Amino acid sequence: MKIIEIKNLHKIYNSDSVAVHAVNGIDVSFEEGEFTAIVGPSGSGKTTLLNIIGGLDDATEGSVEIEGIKINELSARKLTDFRMKNIGFVFQAYNLIPVLTAKENVEFIMHLQGRNKADREARTSELLKAVGLGEMMDRRPSKLSGGQQQRVAVARALASKPKFVLADEPTANLDSHSTENLLDIMEQLNKEEKITFIFSTHDQRVVNKARRVITIEDGKIISDISK
Amino acid sequence: MILSIAWRNVWRNKVRSIIMIVAIALGLTAGVFATAFMLGAVESRIESATRTELAHLQVHAPRFMDNNETGLFISNAGELTQKINQLAEVDAACYRLIAEPFIMAAHGTGGGKMLGIVPEMEKEVTNISQKLVDGTYLEKNSRMPPVLIGEKLAKKLKLKVGSKLNVQMVDMNGDLSSKGYRVSGIYRTVNTGFDETNLFVLYDDLKKQLGLHGDVAHEIAMICDDANTVDDVKTKVQQLAGNDDVKTWKEISPEMSILTESMDQYMYIFILIILLGLCFGIVNTMLMAVLERTKEIGMLMAVGMNKRKVFGMIMLESVMLTLTGGLLGVLTGSLITRYFETRPIDVSAFSEGLEKYGYATKVYTALQPNTLVIITILVILTGIISAVYPARKALKLNPAEATRTE
Repeated sequence: MKIIEIKNLHKIYNSDSVAVHAVNGIDVSFEEGEFTAIVGPSGSGKTTLLNIIGGLDDATEGSVEIEGIKINELSARKLTDFRMKNIGFVFQAYNLIPVLTAKENVEFIMHLQGRNKADREARTSELLKAVGLGEMMDRRPSKLSGGQQQRVAVARALASKPKFVLADEPTANLDSHSTENLLDIMEQLNKEEKITFIFSTHDQRVVNKARRVITIEDGKIISDISK
Repeated sequence: MILSIAWRNVWRNKVRSIIMIVAIALGLTAGVFATAFMLGAVESRIESATRTELAHLQVHAPRFMDNNETGLFISNAGELTQKINQLAEVDAACYRLIAEPFIMAAHGTGGGKMLGIVPEMEKEVTNISQKLVDGTYLEKNSRMPPVLIGEKLAKKLKLKVGSKLNVQMVDMNGDLSSKGYRVSGIYRTVNTGFDETNLFVLYDDLKKQLGLHGDVAHEIAMICDDANTVDDVKTKVQQLAGNDDVKTWKEISPEMSILTESMDQYMYIFILIILLGLCFGIVNTMLMAVLERTKEIGMLMAVGMNKRKVFGMIMLESVMLTLTGGLLGVLTGSLITRYFETRPIDVSAFSEGLEKYGYATKVYTALQPNTLVIITILVILTGIISAVYPARKALKLNPAEATRTE
């Protein structure tokens, strides 16, 4: 089932009176349960594409439809609400809340959704166990390694039961062991729970795991290969 | 949970928060103490005005207060005083005669206000008898009638106990009346202006000098059991007094009334100035807190925390920071105030200026609980106002850019 459909997407940045075409007419769609890597050199437009899909940035032209809803037509408030309910985010620098424990970081988004305490606690426990941090729930981010923090970030991204997860360079700050570990967890969640993952990455290990690889250069898709 | 995050964020940079909290606490300690000091000084001034000078209520013949005319007196003054004394809300009442004499002494002359009193009745209403610094309270020790004068007048006219002075006034018949008095005592209140102008003599002596006869008085003064019931008592006394004028101390001395009513405003303006100064410090602290957390706030917005909640979280942090310092300051200020409620602060170094305006040189602090509540509310408002700029700055962040900030 198609969950994301992008049509004729353009994004132009105007800096110092020079127009930069970061995304230049992209048409692409994503099916439910995909494990897709978007690759390309720095400045090719992959992060911009991810930001537009995630509703964090506006498109200059074109549309992004998620399960039939054109997100670029939603008001800012509705878009924020839409992100909370439908999209999970994993950031390069983990971006956990340092004053909260691992458990609280995962719970936080469910709190925003207004879910009850019992539901929140059960889901948090389930997710942290799934990412191998069942014993470290009460640790704050400063007491966790980079890999562990990124696993908490994955658990947090899944907490809201999103339709898909956007992961922007999730392994860029991790060593190879942590990268392998994280990718195994995400692959397992993808296979077992049919969670759709879309990565932007430079990392060949991510590309190797991905079942679909989209290559972007100068804001255009130059290849789209399903394995 | 947002409450919990906000509280933990306050303590994220402990040193910075503690410095700000201490600054707020010190500012408010000073504010609360200064407020209590000013209030104490004013309460002491009012106490002095009502217990020494004006009493709570006064009755006069109509138009007497326009120019203290001798012929405008209250008839049956003793009987009316007795009836007033029988009112449950009245603690004590007394009657007086009033004249505006010209005083001549060996070393100078001057004007003043002479009150003819019945010492035993007067004692129950005013505390002049307790203010003696020398001599006796109108005890007759010689053939000449006794007079009680203020220390300031005694110094001005170089008088001491036993000195003679001559008093001239216009009597009931419009004739000039002159009479010699001997200083029996010297009193000293906190109001040097009062001490310089008010002389006390025996009711009968003044009545004789003024050529008055019968149960007459120019003034009936009374003290109520509860100062807050003055307006109610006035209504009852007015019913007894018939056509005579009944006035509260606030009506007799409107400047005192303005002083008490404007005191609250002065206090809050003073506190607001302190809080305004602290406001800049809080804005700076909150701005730093927001700018340091650009990435985190961007993430919160990205994952679905709406602007209202982000705004609220920063507001809460600011209010918590301000309130922590504020409550600490209010508590410390209250404790210091409480200590000085029973131990007076000696400001005699400024006695000349203070006593001229009727203020005591020993001030007991006074603070009302509702003042503390209002100060706490002002502190919360300061926290909210201080957070507006940093919070607006946070709301302008673009989550996509903010999450990638280094």
